[in-house]
Amino acid sequence: MDEVMNLSAATYKDLLEHYIKTQDEKSLYEVEKVSKNFIKNSKTPEEIVNLHIQALSELYPNLKEDFQHSMNFLLEAMIAYGLAHQEYQQLREKQYELKTEIAVAASMQETLLGTTKPDIEGLDIGVVSVPAHQMNGDYHHFVKGKDNSLGIAIADVIGKGIPAALSMSMIKYSMDSYPEESMSPRAILKNLNRVVERNVDPSMFITMFYAQYIPSESLLHYSSAGHEPGFYYNAEKNTFTEIESKGLVLGVSPDTDYQQYKLKINKDDMVILLTDGVTECRDGERFIESEEVLDVIKQYAHLPAQEMVDQVYKHFERLQDFQLRDDFTLLILRKIV
Amino acid sequence: MNLVIDISEETEKTTVNLSGEIDAYTAPKLKEALLPLTKQNGLIVEINLEDVNYMDSTGLGIFISALKSAKENNSQMKLVNLQDRVFRLFKITGLDAIMDINAAIRGGSE
Amino acid sequence: MKPQSCVNINKEWDIVGARQLGRDIAKKMGFGTVDQARIATAISELARNIYLYAEEGQICFEVIDNLPQRGMRMIAVDTGPGIKDIGQVMQDGFSTSGGLGAGLPGVKRLMDEFDLQSEASKGTRINAVKWLR
Repeated sequence: MDEVMNLSAATYKDLLEHYIKTQDEKSLYEVEKVSKNFIKNSKTPEEIVNLHIQALSELYPNLKEDFQHSMNFLLEAMIAYGLAHQEYQQLREKQYELKTEIAVAASMQETLLGTTKPDIEGLDIGVVSVPAHQMNGDYHHFVKGKDNSLGIAIADVIGKGIPAALSMSMIKYSMDSYPEESMSPRAILKNLNRVVERNVDPSMFITMFYAQYIPSESLLHYSSAGHEPGFYYNAEKNTFTEIESKGLVLGVSPDTDYQQYKLKINKDDMVILLTDGVTECRDGERFIESEEVLDVIKQYAHLPAQEMVDQVYKHFERLQDFQLRDDFTLLILRKIV
Repeated sequence: MNLVIDISEETEKTTVNLSGEIDAYTAPKLKEALLPLTKQNGLIVEINLEDVNYMDSTGLGIFISALKSAKENNSQMKLVNLQDRVFRLFKITGLDAIMDINAAIRGGSE
Repeated sequence: MKPQSCVNINKEWDIVGARQLGRDIAKKMGFGTVDQARIATAISELARNIYLYAEEGQICFEVIDNLPQRGMRMIAVDTGPGIKDIGQVMQDGFSTSGGLGAGLPGVKRLMDEFDLQSEASKGTRINAVKWLR
């Protein structure tokens, strides 16, 4: 037995003796501290029972034999608990290691997939993207063209966590290899579809909404590959409408063509793009309806776009008791001139 | 929530009755039941989703891989009696255009 | 050869017999109550493995009496299917039967030395030592 144990043994015996005489609360408080010390030094239950047996036999040398046997019986019963406890300890350490490793991967992912919100004259842009776990299966990026045009991609891969995050890296690298700013949304989706179809598991798929905003025409050109529909806010009429878009998810069928749509954007109009982590928020067992998402957006519509998306995120985070079920991405564009 | 899978076989058609939720936890079980059926040449696999009140994207993934397998093995997959909320997912993702889906027989999705 | 005492394991009751023999040796050598209990538990795990997976085997005990160290060695030998993935069975949290704390990682924790050799379809040999302190 080591020093800690010997020291504790002496204290334990004294405390026990005192307690048997007085039954005072102070001894109980003191033994609680000893107990914490045992835990700190990974003492097993059988060692503690043994300590008790030793202390008793020193205090009462003539203890009844029956009683001594019963204490040994208890000691035997504790062995398996001791083993289980040590295993827990080990698993906890392992879990910590894994967590650290994933945290490193997550920050790498953030660097690799990072995108900066560009300054586009006449546009106010806000975006928030938060993973449910450590790694994000949602993806968005911005590309600024020479003619001051803006390309926006927002994508969601089926599932969440590490497999989802890995697939997203693939999307990012394929897009990096295109002359994106000179391609139309429909062509970008058609190309990506082939990449995804060839490279992922049959039960895996990715949804994407790709939009290009041309400031000189005040037009938004866009195509959707099965992505959760966004919303268009018409400032003049003060109405929200779902952005019409049809198209098959990426990775299902190799020769898919995508339709391209256009939308005229006027001053103070907004375009709201999101992933199903937003629309699939649950309030307890109940799903929120898309009107509720819009209601919350309306509530913060007076704020600049970035503050707006931050407030909407905070609202749904609270609604779900701060435990996101799915990755959450919300992107808002507002035309300000 | 759980997913109950009930398979009844007739000569040329096999009906799969599902009830419960299809999510990341129940999807593997569904995949295991569905894929062997779609691998049978010429078989019509009809999947009744009347009692499925929730499905997430993992569930869609299972139907996509079943569809691919049906194409490869010359069998047919049909989805029938989808509730609104479930059907919406197929519509948004554009899968309603490439799958044989006989949509909702009833409204309320609660 | 050192003197060995062995117990054949082919029914569950033999696990108790092995524990008893092991404990008697440990007691005679002067192991304390805690270590006796640990040795008996390790014997249980080894014997149960033989009973569950190999059906037939043997557990033998040896007294190690080389100065400066004295100790007790147990050797579990079976002619069962062998262990395919030793790394896996030695991993915490992996158990085909007992749940947390059970199995070979438990034996390794209870004893001071542990060694395992196994060959598919030939059998397994486990050698474990507890030193007297």
